[in-house]
Amino acid sequence: MSNRRMLVFNILRGAAAIFLALGVGFIFIVLSSDEPLNALRYLLIGPVFRIRDGVLSFNTTSFQTILAAMIPTIFTGLAVCVMFSASQFNLAGEGAVMLGGFVGALCAIYLNIPGWIHPVVCVLIGAAVSGLIMLIPALLKVKLGASELVTSLMLNYIIMFIVLHFLNYYFADRSKGATQTFSFQPTAQIPALIEGSSKLSWGFIVALIFVVIVALFMYRTKWGYAIRMIGINQPFSKYSGMKVGATIILSQVIGGILSGMGGSIEVLGRYNTYLWRELPGYGWTGITIAILAKNNPIFIPFAALFIAYLDKGCQLMSTYSDVPSEMIDIIQAAIFLFFAAEQFLAKYRQKIVVKNSRLEMENNNLSQEGRNA
Amino acid sequence: MENDNFIIQMKGISKVYPNGIAANRNVDFFVKEGEIHALMGENGAGKSTLMKILFGLEQPTEGEIIINGEEVSLTSPSDAISRGIGMVHQHFMLIPSLTVAENIVLGMAPIKKGILIDYKKAVQITEEVSQKYNLNVNPNAKVMDIPVGMKQKVEILKALVRGANILILDEPTAVLTTQETSELFKELIILKQLGYTIIFISHKLNEIKQITDRLTIMRGGKSMGVYETASTSEQEISRLMVGRDVILNVEKDKSQPTETVLKVRNLEYTNKWNKKMLDFLSFSVRQGEILGIAGVEGNGQRELVEMLFNLNTPDSGTITVNGVNIINLPQDKIRDNRVSLIPEDRMTYGIADAASIEENVISDRYTEKHFNNGPLFDMKMIHKESDKLIKNYAILCKSRKQQVKMLSGGNIQKVVVARELSSDPILIIADQPTRGIDVGSTEFIRNKLVHLSRAGAAVLLVSADLNEVMELSDSLIVLYGGKVVAYFDDTSALDDTVMGEYMLGLKHQSPEEIERVCHE
Ligand SMILES: Nc1ncnc2c1ncn2[C@@H]1O[C@H](COP(=O)(O)OP(=O)(O)OP(=O)(O)O)[C@@H](O)[C@H]1O
Ligand SMILES: [Mg+2]
Repeated sequence: MSNRRMLVFNILRGAAAIFLALGVGFIFIVLSSDEPLNALRYLLIGPVFRIRDGVLSFNTTSFQTILAAMIPTIFTGLAVCVMFSASQFNLAGEGAVMLGGFVGALCAIYLNIPGWIHPVVCVLIGAAVSGLIMLIPALLKVKLGASELVTSLMLNYIIMFIVLHFLNYYFADRSKGATQTFSFQPTAQIPALIEGSSKLSWGFIVALIFVVIVALFMYRTKWGYAIRMIGINQPFSKYSGMKVGATIILSQVIGGILSGMGGSIEVLGRYNTYLWRELPGYGWTGITIAILAKNNPIFIPFAALFIAYLDKGCQLMSTYSDVPSEMIDIIQAAIFLFFAAEQFLAKYRQKIVVKNSRLEMENNNLSQEGRNA
Repeated sequence: MENDNFIIQMKGISKVYPNGIAANRNVDFFVKEGEIHALMGENGAGKSTLMKILFGLEQPTEGEIIINGEEVSLTSPSDAISRGIGMVHQHFMLIPSLTVAENIVLGMAPIKKGILIDYKKAVQITEEVSQKYNLNVNPNAKVMDIPVGMKQKVEILKALVRGANILILDEPTAVLTTQETSELFKELIILKQLGYTIIFISHKLNEIKQITDRLTIMRGGKSMGVYETASTSEQEISRLMVGRDVILNVEKDKSQPTETVLKVRNLEYTNKWNKKMLDFLSFSVRQGEILGIAGVEGNGQRELVEMLFNLNTPDSGTITVNGVNIINLPQDKIRDNRVSLIPEDRMTYGIADAASIEENVISDRYTEKHFNNGPLFDMKMIHKESDKLIKNYAILCKSRKQQVKMLSGGNIQKVVVARELSSDPILIIADQPTRGIDVGSTEFIRNKLVHLSRAGAAVLLVSADLNEVMELSDSLIVLYGGKVVAYFDDTSALDDTVMGEYMLGLKHQSPEEIERVCHE
């Protein structure tokens, strides 16, 4: 009874946060646009509705595009969940995505394996290499005490330039105008989930499966348990007999594996050649998503959907209205801020709780009286 | 009730925490100016909550607060501080990486040349107040390196420096030795004579009788009334708190020690200030006995316990458990050898505060086979285990899912004790096992320790509470300067004065007498 009320409250709280944030966003839109309602329309309903001649219709392709955009960010969000749960502020998810994508792409070009198995092998190898690369910040932290924040941030750029080096000097297809690799073998492509231009591949299903796997891992296995306990109190974990160093390393490697997997699935599901020439940004988005989801894997797809929707809306708004793109960053930041604020609406929450426990007390009294009588 | 004499009037205070726990229910609490007023009650009765409300840390759900005749709303500690209220919390609120002096002036730091903290000034202030109130601390030591007894003093000084004339002390003596407690009491009497008002929380009835003027008793979040201390007997008090008579005398038959379990030989350790903390320390603990360690805090107890659990490494010497060398052994291996530790500092080592009770009680056994089903946890077994421990150790909580940081202080201690005593240990290192625990539960834990020792465990008991060591131990050693200065194989005939002389280093036994504790 009380639990259901809290759940309703939490949902309402989320909705209220969005409305408040949009309110703030709207103020900025009014300030910077001559046609604010039009701009707002693109932001809010543009991503999934088409308006033609005043008739509103569901835009299936656009909706599928949003789902497709969630594929890499669900993976990076999960990766950040695992790494941050151990209280390790590892930012190398970004580089791991790029590396996983590149390695996956090379396997897609140079390995000869039958269809269906081919992409699986590519993704596994990409994920493994990205997992291994995470050993660098993890070992530096555990063995030498070097801040993982700094080393992982640096690592991103090292990975980027190494990938570019190999791309430029060894793997580029000179016959193409731009610096790209040769084309993937057709067997290596991740098939589309729904045929069409949305690029929604089977990767989406895989991502959702991994949400469940990671949630189980974090809350239902001894390894996830140790990761979380170490994140809360390291001396306690050591005293309890947990292998602190090894567990920290494990959490970072898993973060790398998930990021790399996201990178290679994205590359094999969306393109037929490798063409990232800079960090793709999914790692950063993953951090935002993990924070929105409060490090809980189950909430990751919702947070990813929210961000993807917002991105799409902002993109439409900047294309079809006169709102400048800087303003769009402000609006995104405002929405994020309201969502992340823990204390937000705490007062109202308190009121519900008080009411609940009053009821409970009264019930107790009643039942006691009943017993006494 | 309209009396100008009351410096604090809290009327009809109710508090419901965000998780739905009603910690205070319509509580009236009145304190007279210049008195020492005790607040008593079982673990979880709502004492700390009421005091946090008075200090502005928690907001009451209902009720009013009148200070010095003026109705106030205290929305933050700075409100309370500006009205002359100071609080020493049950759990330390110090910043471990800063020095004592920095902690004392924190938030009111003397500023030099605009932005830099005038560290010399901070040290000077610290030395002045510590002399003025005779609470000795080392201004330059980092808080993480000082013993709990000194941390407690730093907390009190912190409040005094901020000009408090109403002092709330939430279980200040739980961490102090008997000597330190009587020292503190002298200071509190002086403060009282100077016109300070003191609210004093403690579970120790003799302390309450000794120092307070009046007392308020709480039970289950409600006030059970106000009493004059002098005209209320200890029995009456405990009956009001617990609802039954409590016998604090542990019933134990004579111990029949058998095999030696723990063997400590020639342990040496010099700390980073070049102070020799352990000086060729040697002793043994046998199956079936409780060996107590008495001594003024800071004579090597802390270092010794750390080394017994590989949380620190000795310079030389050996420690073996049933013949296995445990120096440098990882903690899981130490636990595999059936050693368990109730740590002195429960908030650092004992628990993960943001995790649930359940997650805390399985932290030493979560890898065991019967809690795992292939790669997954067997949640049924884990629930069963935690429900069993919650029930057996009477942990007051809403459910096993409740976060440990939302438990009362005494119940947090019970979580630690429940885990450590339920792992079938052959050696139990109990460092202040009943710290902050109410009389009823203290009785329970002491009996549990006796029971486990009679069933074949070796128990090493470290306690700042001399009464506890003398009553509970079968035999005891006195530590002074990192050395054993006395060994008594029978504690029944001991008295405080003699113990005091050994503890202060005024007396020591001959090497032959001391060597007997090695049982070789
Ligand atoms: N931050 C919190 N959130 C939720 N519940 C809390 C919180 N702090 C305390 N409680 C609950 O309120 C009740 C009263 O706790 P409180 O700390 O006031 O007890 P106490 O009388 O000080 O006990 P002790 O002697 O053990 O220190 C307990 O049931 C506890 O679980
Ligand atoms: Mg308390």
